[in-house]
Amino acid sequence: MNHFSMTDRKDKAARRTIKQSRASDSAFDVWLNRGLHELFDDVVKEPVPAELLKIIEDDKKK
Amino acid sequence: MSSDGFHAQVVAILPKLRVQALALTRNRAAAEDLVQDAVCNALSASNSFIPGTNFAAWMHRILRNRFISNLRKRRDTTDIEDVPAHTFASEAPHEDRLALKELGAAMSRLPADQREALVMVVVHGMSYEDLAEATGCAVGTAKSRVFRARRQLEAWLLGESKDRSAIRLESRVRRSLAGDAHAGD
Repeated sequence: MNHFSMTDRKDKAARRTIKQSRASDSAFDVWLNRGLHELFDDVVKEPVPAELLKIIEDDKKK
Repeated sequence: MSSDGFHAQVVAILPKLRVQALALTRNRAAAEDLVQDAVCNALSASNSFIPGTNFAAWMHRILRNRFISNLRKRRDTTDIEDVPAHTFASEAPHEDRLALKELGAAMSRLPADQREALVMVVVHGMSYEDLAEATGCAVGTAKSRVFRARRQLEAWLLGESKDRSAIRLESRVRRSLAGDAHAGD
């Protein structure tokens, strides 16, 4: 009987590969991390829409 | 938890919810709608949150479940071109803007769960344990999603095919990193 799903087998294989390849971050990983911050950091810093804050405030008053 | 405390936590987590929503939907307008829907769901379900447990994970899961529910109703075909235009603003050298655009396009091709996992670990600085709890999966699965996302992006951008654009991008990455090394001199 196969106790493991296809997803479990793939996860186990990926975890073995993660261990084997883990050293310091590769140059690509460093670049990727920076690129993701450039793509998304501004979203974090943007002010929250007033409409959304009003929804929360109105609920708080109930 | 007092009502004030609960609502304050909702407000505090909104920036991170917006990032998660954008990672999932790849579309700015859809992301804002998703966050609003998730907040409404959370406010309606506030009595189900157990004070003292992981609020962030609870909130992220609500948003994720709402995204999945919406997907079942319609097919999402937008792409990450809708990431704010100022992200590719003129501060960045031309080549870096091109590289970011390619990264954005590649991100949109990833499966949503891998894209979400990568963004939450890198942009939010989440641990794998927190990511697992926020997305309702095992820690090993969370790690696998991030690992697969990174390696898939690397394959696309640096070239399984090694076409011209991949070679150019690889050069940009190397020059960009070399520039950082010299900046410290």
